[in-house]
Amino acid sequence: MPDEEVLEEGVLSPVQPEIQDPLLRALLADEPAPAPLDIPAEQPQAIPAEADEVDCVVIGLGAGGAPLLARLAMAGLKVVALEAGPWHNPEQDFATDEKAQDFLFWNDERLAAGSDPLAMGKNNSGTGVGGSTLHYTAYTPRPLPDDLHVKRDFGQGEDWPVSYEELEPYYEEVEQFLGISGPTPYPWGPARRKGYALPPLPLNSAAQLMVRGAEKLGIRTSPAANAALSARYYQEGIGWREACTNRGFCQAGCSNGAKASMDVTFIPLAVQHGANIRPNSFVTEIERDARGYVTGVVYIQNGEQKRQCCRHLFLCGGSVETPRLLLLNELALTSGQVGRNLMAHPGVQVWGTFEDMVRPNKGIPGGLISQDTHRPKDADFIGGYLLQSIGVMPVTFAGQVARGRKLWGQPLRDYMRQYNHIAGINILGDCLPHADNFMELAEEKDARGLPKPRLHFTAQENEQRMNAHAEKTMRAIWEAAGATDIWAFQRYAHVIGTARMGKSGDDAVVDANGRAFDVPNLYISDNSTFPSALSVNPALTIMALSLRTADKFLESLK
Amino acid sequence: MPVPVYPSGTVRVLLGTEHVSEATRAAVQSRLDAPAAYVPQFLAPDTYALLEAVAARLFPQPDRPTQPIPLAPAVDQRLTEGRADGWRYDALPPDREAYRLGLGGIQEIAQALFQADFMALNPGQQDAVLQALADGHPPGPAWETLAAGRFFEELLAELTETYYAHPLAQEEIGYVGMADLPSWTKIGLNEKDDREVS
Repeated sequence: MPDEEVLEEGVLSPVQPEIQDPLLRALLADEPAPAPLDIPAEQPQAIPAEADEVDCVVIGLGAGGAPLLARLAMAGLKVVALEAGPWHNPEQDFATDEKAQDFLFWNDERLAAGSDPLAMGKNNSGTGVGGSTLHYTAYTPRPLPDDLHVKRDFGQGEDWPVSYEELEPYYEEVEQFLGISGPTPYPWGPARRKGYALPPLPLNSAAQLMVRGAEKLGIRTSPAANAALSARYYQEGIGWREACTNRGFCQAGCSNGAKASMDVTFIPLAVQHGANIRPNSFVTEIERDARGYVTGVVYIQNGEQKRQCCRHLFLCGGSVETPRLLLLNELALTSGQVGRNLMAHPGVQVWGTFEDMVRPNKGIPGGLISQDTHRPKDADFIGGYLLQSIGVMPVTFAGQVARGRKLWGQPLRDYMRQYNHIAGINILGDCLPHADNFMELAEEKDARGLPKPRLHFTAQENEQRMNAHAEKTMRAIWEAAGATDIWAFQRYAHVIGTARMGKSGDDAVVDANGRAFDVPNLYISDNSTFPSALSVNPALTIMALSLRTADKFLESLK
Repeated sequence: MPVPVYPSGTVRVLLGTEHVSEATRAAVQSRLDAPAAYVPQFLAPDTYALLEAVAARLFPQPDRPTQPIPLAPAVDQRLTEGRADGWRYDALPPDREAYRLGLGGIQEIAQALFQADFMALNPGQQDAVLQALADGHPPGPAWETLAAGRFFEELLAELTETYYAHPLAQEEIGYVGMADLPSWTKIGLNEKDDREVS
């Protein structure tokens, strides 16, 4: 085996570490110090500044950054977006192959600590123009109004400083713009002014099986709201997008634009209105003036260090990179909440084997929903969860079987032969913030020389009770549907809350509009600002909040 | 329940049709075409041979006596390139170190249980060594610092994902999702499109 020191992990073109200081080099080498040369010392090279200051820089082009980028561009502002990952051509580049699609994930290593370490990578991250929406499942239920008031209703957790009523027009706008397919009327929550843009997608086998089991138990179900088109859809400023072809590969990237990832929706809209998109641009520094206002950012694009000056900065890197940038730059830290309040959705899955032919790779993975468990009558926990039928791609499923069932050898191969007869249900449940759950910067450095993020997560009593309740419910549904060999996979999804919003800078990083209490021209727009986790998938709310933040910002300029 | 039985070469036949996109074909074909012989670049020859032996028990392939689906090369290639999958258990050291320590630790278990090298054990004994590891409290000094359960989980998950990414393993479980063009039209229970096998 080669010497460990030869290659630094994660560095593809390693260089010999070189001691820059001649005196130190001489001391270490035990040589006489070189005589000072009579030439002018080389000046540190100035980072070339972009010629112009722009109105706004947006960091990150996922669900948090893309909607507001479009809004700001449409308002006539000069905007630049910096995205760490590349800009793909899905039709040409995206394979129907899980391994080949690994490039969609944020593959720099994050350290998962605590008793329930959070799987990151394909479970919980994204990179590229479109961010995590490139591989989100597109499951887009709205939260129910009381999701925003867990503390009011239960005396624990946090309330949102924004009400459902304030968010509602934005939910509606996003649903119509993305072309969300879903049931009208929607069976849970308050009546809506407008139905979904398109009828629901067809139910796949897992969804049909969940209907079968839930009906017997008196649990109401409905086709779910999904941000994938059940029919061709026209968007002003973008054109036609084609209908979903039931590939079932949402989590490995949609190749025909049917799924409403940001790269086929808000980003082309932003570009059409003059937004400047810079892919492969990794931000390292946020610069400030003496007053503490942000003046610009330094980033590395294709190996070259660059600077972009701006009047306002929108930080939209998600719940790991956003707090990491704040911590690295010692920015907006007064409240002490950056990195704290880390929450993750309980996402326990229950799998079963059926006599019927399922073929779980086909169709929108999350075809069905029930929110009857939003506030269960027999709950011994705070909050609640939703139920979702799930299809699954083979490599993802096999990995979970290995980790969760601990099968190996012939039993693993035998079990996997039932793949075409497997169907699952999972939950998405609320999570309470806890002092033990937080993100910090580790001593260990990544390939860029920056400290790796370390995420501490331990499910507390409330999450454990919710999981137990949910597992029992899902096992009952699968038994009623005729499943055998039922097993549960403990899992947590989405990282939330590491730069939370609130009413006061004493205990929150940003206000209800996403503006940092400490830094007047810094806004944060992503799931790091969520004060509570909500009992629904976060993408729709991230987008709605993003548009609201843009509007509040634009109002403030008047 | 009927286990899907594919006529030999199903995936290869599908790859030649318009049901598979160029990007998909390139990904799948590259695995079918991977040369059988592999010279390790990161792991030392002995360590690599041990990894191969461990992989052969975690994924026994008696049905492919001459051409098993290769599993160890993907691990060695990844470690060589220093690629990560986005996260690591904080309880484990960096992957290169974990693999080096863990494979050494497997030898320690073999010595403790059978006073022999892992490679010299019969399949049943090798399985006993791996079961001791899987159970989380194996004998051997390596496991005083390396979290056995987590190491086993990571090792097994990586080999499993490599195995089921291979088109012949996908054929084995009746998966033909790579042939998804122009669309799937029969997605309900007990339905199938014509190009899916029954």
